[in-house]
Amino acid sequence: MSETIRIKGRAEWPGKVTAEALVSPIPIEGFANVDDVHGYITERYHPLFKIPYEGKILVFPSPRGSGGFMKFGTGKIPAAYVHRRGNTLSDACIMCARVPAMTDFETDPLSVIETGDTVFVNADEGYIEITKKEK
Amino acid sequence: MYLSDDEKRLLDGAEGFVRQRCMAYLVELATVSGAERMVDLDGTTDFHVPTTALVPEYLFPIEELRKIVDEGAVFKAPTFANKAPFYGATFVDGWEGCAYPPHNDPAHHAKAMQPDWMELYVRMGLITTYSCASYLASSYWPSVGQHCAWNESSAVPYCNAVLGGRSNIDGSFASSFLAKAPYSGMHVPENRLATVVIDTERLIQTDVEWDVLGFAVGEECGLDVPALIHTAKPTTTQYQKFNTAANTGGSIAMYHVPGATPEAPTLEWALGGKKPAREVRFDEAHLKKTYEKLNDHRGDTVEMVSLGCPHYNLVDLMLLSRKLKGKKVKVPVWIMTVPALYHTAEQLGYKKIFEDAGAVLLSGTCPAAIAGVPGGIRALAVDAAKQAYYISGLFPEADDHLDVFYGTQDDCVDAALTGVWRGEWR
Repeated sequence: MSETIRIKGRAEWPGKVTAEALVSPIPIEGFANVDDVHGYITERYHPLFKIPYEGKILVFPSPRGSGGFMKFGTGKIPAAYVHRRGNTLSDACIMCARVPAMTDFETDPLSVIETGDTVFVNADEGYIEITKKEK
Repeated sequence: MYLSDDEKRLLDGAEGFVRQRCMAYLVELATVSGAERMVDLDGTTDFHVPTTALVPEYLFPIEELRKIVDEGAVFKAPTFANKAPFYGATFVDGWEGCAYPPHNDPAHHAKAMQPDWMELYVRMGLITTYSCASYLASSYWPSVGQHCAWNESSAVPYCNAVLGGRSNIDGSFASSFLAKAPYSGMHVPENRLATVVIDTERLIQTDVEWDVLGFAVGEECGLDVPALIHTAKPTTTQYQKFNTAANTGGSIAMYHVPGATPEAPTLEWALGGKKPAREVRFDEAHLKKTYEKLNDHRGDTVEMVSLGCPHYNLVDLMLLSRKLKGKKVKVPVWIMTVPALYHTAEQLGYKKIFEDAGAVLLSGTCPAAIAGVPGGIRALAVDAAKQAYYISGLFPEADDHLDVFYGTQDDCVDAALTGVWRGEWR
C-alpha cells in the first residue's frame, strides 16, 4: 500500500472530498485565460493549457490577474482547491464554487503533491492527505 | 469573527432582505479570507455594474433593488462603475464607428447599457465612470489611509501604492452599499510593507519599460509587496502601465517606489525597518524574454491596432493625436479611453484628428472585456502587456489563431500606418 502524507492547513470552505490532483506549478489566471464552459486554462504556453480540471483537486501556488479569476469557480469546476497562498481573487472563486478549499499549509503542498496523486481534502478537520501515485 | 451590534442587526435581517444579503456576503468573504472583523470604509468603491453580486449565491432581482431605491436607499460609499455594464461590456462612446456588429447597432447599444438597472443605481448615487481607470475621471480620490473597496485589478495598486488608499480587489454592490469590507490584506497596515526588493540592470524610464517591468515583477512576486529601486520617477501613464501589467503577470495589490510613492519616503521605510525576504535584480535578458513572451505572432502583418489598456488618460490621447495628425492608417485602429475623457478629447479636437486619420476613439471597454475582435481579424497589435496577455487567451485554438503583437505606442502607430510590425525590445 502506498504511503500517505498528511499536511495541516487552514480551511477556507468546509467539506471532505477525495480526488486526483491536477497541479499547476505556476500561478493560474482567470478572466480571458480560462474557459469555464470546458473547464480548462486557455493561457498560451501555460503548463495546464487545455487540461480539464473538472472533478480534480486543483493545486496551485496562488491566483493572479483580474477579478475574473472567479471563472475557475463557475461552469465546470474542480472537486476542491488546494493552494499555497490566496487573496480576494481566490476567496471569490471559492465562494462561487462552494466546494472544499484549503490554504496556508504547514508544509508547502506543491512540494509534496504531483499531478495524478490522490488527495483527500478534509476541510472540516483542517488537513489534506496525499497518497502518491504508483511510479 | 467579531461583528458589531449594527452588523449583527444587518445579518439578522432586521434591516431588510437586500442589506441582509449584503452583510451575509461580506461575512462569508471574511470567513474564507480568514479576517476576524469588518472595516468601515471611509474611501471610495467600484464594482462591475449591474451585477448585484459576482458570487451567484448572493444575486438578487431588480425588483428587490427597486423596492429599496423607492424607499430612498443610497450607496453609503462614493461608488464608481468599473467599465461598461456587464456582461456585454459594449462601447459607451464612439460605438457608431467601431464596425464591429452588433456593437454598432443602436438597438444593441441601448439594451447593453442596461438602462433599467442603471436608472436605479444612479438614483442611489452611482457615478457612471464606466472605466477600468475610474480614478482618471473621479473627483473623489481616497486620501492617504482611507479604506476603499475597488474591484478593478489594474486600479487597485493605483489606490494602494500611488494614492495611499487601502483596498483589496473586493469592490462589490455589498461593499458599496454598506461601506464595509473584511479587514484583511491591504486594509491591514503591516501587510502593506515591502518584503521583496527589485532592482534592474537598465534604468526603467519609458512607458514600455514600466509595462514590461510590471509583468516581470508580477511573475516574480506573486502576492508579495515589492519595493522598486533605482528607477526613474514614474509618470501617471507609467504608474497606470506598471499597475496593470503587475496585476496580469501576478497579483500585486501594493508596491513602493521609494522617494515617489506616498508610503515610502525611503527604502527602509518601505521595508518597515526589516530586512527584505529577498532581493532580485532583473538583467537585460530577463526583461527581453518578458517582452518576447508578450509577443506571439507567426508573421509581421498587422490587421488591427488597439490602444489604451488601461484606458488612456488625456496626456496619452494628446501625444497620440500629434502622431496621427495628417496621417492615414491602413488598418482599423481602436483608441480606448474613459467616457468622461472621451468628451474632453472631443472638445480638444483629438477625436477629429483621430477620425481624419481613419482611427476610432471609443470608451468604456476594450477587446478583452468585449471578448473578441471584429470577424476576420487575425493579427492584432497592442501597446499593453495586459491586453496582449488576455486577448491571446481568447484564441486558444490552432485553427482560430490570433497573432498578437506587443510594443510601444510608437510601434503600434507605425504598424497602423504601414500594416507591418517593426517593434522590438530596444
